[in-house]
Amino acid sequence: MSENQIMTDEKNLDDLNGRYLSFYIDDTFYGIELFHVTEIISIQPITFVPSLPSYIKGIINLRGKVVPVIDVRLKFCQEERPYDDKTCIIVVLIEDMQVGLIVDSVAEVVSIHDGQSNTLPDLGRQGERYLSSISKIGDRSILNIDCNKFFQNDLQLY
Amino acid sequence: MAIDPSMEPMLETFIYESNTLLEQLDEILLESEKSKSLSEDHINEIFRIMHTIKGSSAMMEFNNVSTLAHAVEDVFFILRENPERLTSVSEALFDVVLEASDFLKSEVESVQESGEANKDASGMIVELKRLASIMRGTASEGQAAGAAPEAAPQASSSEPSAPLAAGRHRVKVFFEEGCQMENIRAFMLLSQLQDLCDELESVPPHPENDASLCSEIIKNGFLIDFKPSTSVDDVLHTIESAVNIKTYELLEDEASGPDASASEPAKADAKAADAKTANSAPAAASPAANAGKAKQSLISVNQAKIDQLMDLVGELVTTESMVVGNPDLRGLQLDNFQKSARELRKLTDELQDVVMSMRMVPISGLFQRMNRIVRDMCKKLNKQADLVTEGGDTEIDKTINEAIGDPFMHMVRNSMDHAIEMPEERLAAGKPERGKVILSANNVGGEIVITISDDGSGLDTEKLLKKARENGILTKPESEYTDKEIFGLIMLPGFSTNKEVTEFSGRGVGMDVVRKNIEKVGGTLSIDSKRGQGTTFTIKIPLTLAIVDGMELAVGDSIYTLPINSIKQSFKISDEQMADDRQVILDTDGTEMIMLRGECFPLIRLHRLFGVPTEITELNDGIVIQIENNDKIACIFADELLGEQQVVVKPFPSFLNKYELKKLGLSGCTILGDGSISLILDANNLLNLL
Repeated sequence: MSENQIMTDEKNLDDLNGRYLSFYIDDTFYGIELFHVTEIISIQPITFVPSLPSYIKGIINLRGKVVPVIDVRLKFCQEERPYDDKTCIIVVLIEDMQVGLIVDSVAEVVSIHDGQSNTLPDLGRQGERYLSSISKIGDRSILNIDCNKFFQNDLQLY
Repeated sequence: MAIDPSMEPMLETFIYESNTLLEQLDEILLESEKSKSLSEDHINEIFRIMHTIKGSSAMMEFNNVSTLAHAVEDVFFILRENPERLTSVSEALFDVVLEASDFLKSEVESVQESGEANKDASGMIVELKRLASIMRGTASEGQAAGAAPEAAPQASSSEPSAPLAAGRHRVKVFFEEGCQMENIRAFMLLSQLQDLCDELESVPPHPENDASLCSEIIKNGFLIDFKPSTSVDDVLHTIESAVNIKTYELLEDEASGPDASASEPAKADAKAADAKTANSAPAAASPAANAGKAKQSLISVNQAKIDQLMDLVGELVTTESMVVGNPDLRGLQLDNFQKSARELRKLTDELQDVVMSMRMVPISGLFQRMNRIVRDMCKKLNKQADLVTEGGDTEIDKTINEAIGDPFMHMVRNSMDHAIEMPEERLAAGKPERGKVILSANNVGGEIVITISDDGSGLDTEKLLKKARENGILTKPESEYTDKEIFGLIMLPGFSTNKEVTEFSGRGVGMDVVRKNIEKVGGTLSIDSKRGQGTTFTIKIPLTLAIVDGMELAVGDSIYTLPINSIKQSFKISDEQMADDRQVILDTDGTEMIMLRGECFPLIRLHRLFGVPTEITELNDGIVIQIENNDKIACIFADELLGEQQVVVKPFPSFLNKYELKKLGLSGCTILGDGSISLILDANNLLNLL
């Protein structure tokens, strides 16, 4: 899965609505809204930057642009594991800033209709606060990440 | 009203020219207002500025702009005739003219943005007309006198072939073919000559008002009748050096009469000689003849192009490092290659210097704008203050200039609003009635230091602390705050000490935005204040934003770049020295100190500071680099030196802003020749950590 770019310019915003890019962390199936995603790249050498929270692994060189990368496993308070050739960086655009998300592997683009999603039960658990809903696709459950909640901590200044 | 497509190429020139003129106008007005009088030169200058704007805007068909300019011009026409009349309207006049200048500026801006200018200026025009009539009224006998010269040029211009009066000369000018806008060029020529001539008329009389005159000027040439104030030579010389002039000739008018030439035979001779040289000049229009003439050679370039050029130079520098430091070349003996590489390096360095210098602008323009703010606020707040500027010729990068414009304005407003007291209070405190705001700029080492200081009330630390407590932004017990830290509080978001929000400042978003804007261009802001004596804001901004000479250091797997200008020396510590345990001393607070030739310096171990795992932890295995800034010296410890490289500085992604990497001594990052990223160390902040 190298330089497997998802072009957003061919489709207008309406077409992207309800479409999610799905990826795996361990065996859990997550989805992220497609209109945040600008591209997917394979894992790159990451430059360590001191004094950042541990889930921000550092910065990468994305064709001359310097982009910070977040390890989603660590952000979800799961154990770190070495990167392999399936590890991908999903580059998303949030508030005009590019950020890379390191995930175990990228699966596919899925369409989720309103009827398929259930809101979350209020469990008060740590990881849950990043999710917007759970959807059923075939026999699999997909956990949809709410990008705004996901980045909430990072976007708050001071 | 959309712009005629044929005018589009002229649009940028129009905008540029008008802006320059309006800035000039502001400067003159403020200066004159301060001295409470208008000198003759200034009146003429304003008249000319308005005249030019009127002409060019009429040509661009911005009618509202040209009518307003015309109204201002009218007022100054009267003043030109009789400067004493200024006293009757002085205050009101300055206000309305400044208002008009603001209006024109905003119109020019809207032209720039949307290509349209159609706001209504009738209010100002009425006011200007009123002022004009007051001035006329106060000296009604002057009205006739004022009207007479106005009529005179019309009369004479209707008869182009009228005989020349004694002492007058006539010149016929032809412009270069295809230079376009001959009428405006003719007008520009006239305004250039205005200074040199006592009397000046032209055929056609007002070329700037009618674009259709172009063809006439092309066909018949442009006739100028003038009476020089000094010598004919001066005038001819000016014509000669003007832009786009193809040929010109001095016409001898026979009708000027034998007695005119008889009474001044010498002058007539000179004239003839002039005519001869003038006539021969176009004939001998050889390149050699022109080469000797110093023509003003300024061109205006789109800033985007310069930015692009800068980026390209940045890329070029990176590529050069990539070629010269190419791993394929490692271990090869390449004398000739190295020689050429050095040559290339020299050229890229030079290129970089040139591009940088193109982007440099003097800071005086920025200072100038502050004059206006101080003036306006004095009026509105009934305070009295002067603006003093120092070092206005200091040059800074254009992008920095723009970036600090707003923060600057804000700080000056703050000083005026919060710091400078009312005149009575100042007198009571034993200070001069008029306050002072001092702007100064200075080039210190690799930095530009700009200070904004006032002699106002100074910051009240107790009030600041109280306010901070109320807003809940204190992070430690109040007694632990030093004065400097308390001053720092006002730069935090959501802090405002003024009791109420005023028109100018005090929304509490002020200083933190100011600080952010300054930090965005790599600068720092610090505050110093003495109660009752005033406050000083110091802004330090790096001279060069984009490219630094750096030394690459390895620490574990990471590569750091240390700007070479902050390195004092680097050295290895030998095993024997290590064995001598007096080499490293622990300070009482645990800071390591290193002894060098009898002097003691703090030691910063980069791997420890940044938490980078490395195998090299013993001082004698790695390398020690001594760094310095203005007042401190320290040593840093890294694994090894990798070599020198020029790098293009990139800021950290804004996503990481909240982690304040700057404070940790990292000023940005750079992409190395092999595509990897290196973090750039900032000696200043590293030293501040101590």
